[in-house]
Amino acid sequence: MKKQVKIVIALVFVSLGLYFAYNYMYQDHRDIKAEKAVVLIPASELISYFNENNSKKVLNKTVQVSGIITEINTKNIILDDKVQCSFDSVLKNLNLNETIIVKGRCIGFDELFEVVKMDQSSIIK
Amino acid sequence: MKNLVLTIIFLSSIFPILNAQEKYITKSGEINFEASVPSFEEVKATHNSVSAIIKSNGEFASLALVKGFRFKVALMEEHFNENYAESSKYPKATFKGKVMAFDITGLTTDSKEYVLIGMVNMHGVDKKIETKALIRKVGGIIFLDTQFVLKPEDFNINIPNVVSSKIAEEIRISSSFELKGKL
Repeated sequence: MKKQVKIVIALVFVSLGLYFAYNYMYQDHRDIKAEKAVVLIPASELISYFNENNSKKVLNKTVQVSGIITEINTKNIILDDKVQCSFDSVLKNLNLNETIIVKGRCIGFDELFEVVKMDQSSIIK
Repeated sequence: MKNLVLTIIFLSSIFPILNAQEKYITKSGEINFEASVPSFEEVKATHNSVSAIIKSNGEFASLALVKGFRFKVALMEEHFNENYAESSKYPKATFKGKVMAFDITGLTTDSKEYVLIGMVNMHGVDKKIETKALIRKVGGIIFLDTQFVLKPEDFNINIPNVVSSKIAEEIRISSSFELKGKL
């Protein structure tokens, strides 16, 4: 009887351990759409964080920008010629020169085209 | 004499126009890399907002923001960014080079193989590579595809012993770009 109890307790601990290990290894990706943005600014101002060496405040963080759509591609748009917002799905029902608010994860500043890039974007308005 | 000066001024003012290169660009190129080892968890990432420019003289430049590489397993993505690529310290991976014997006017809808030589910069380290690129042009868009292999050790990226058996020594990189004309 005592031996059986010990086995049961051991099994409970082992399975708990496995459960936590599994959850740690296969934790979910961040849900950018559900995260609160750390900055809410006009798209043209996002670049200033990189010019002022202040990129830590926005890099890998969820940011929300507003601006005029200056370019539309299959899965990304460019706001005010300054911020590229990439989406995980194909875009539709968007028009050039439309004002829009987008939330996404800031992944950095692209010197080649001088744009700040965002991914996992979602349209707020 | 005055005419000569005027002619020189005129010539030098139009010279930049004559010298202007035809440019093709993209801001949504794709890079995939895979470092999987058989029978272990897949080590694979995709980036689909890579920037690239090709000029009519064959000069090619590309830039990927390292944080933009997406993995299936969230923890793997975290480890890649924090321990290996150190993407907060080294946010960019770049390539700068040249497509050899590139002839923009000779491009057809059939892919042609070119030699691509240049410098990859990642994790703050430069590494020269030479590879092949398949290039074709369809409806005004230049399609460029290339594959090559990189080793983490060449970029001072140390893979700890505990995980080294699960990560390939040679990382296979494939990228494809659809470059649109821009003046």
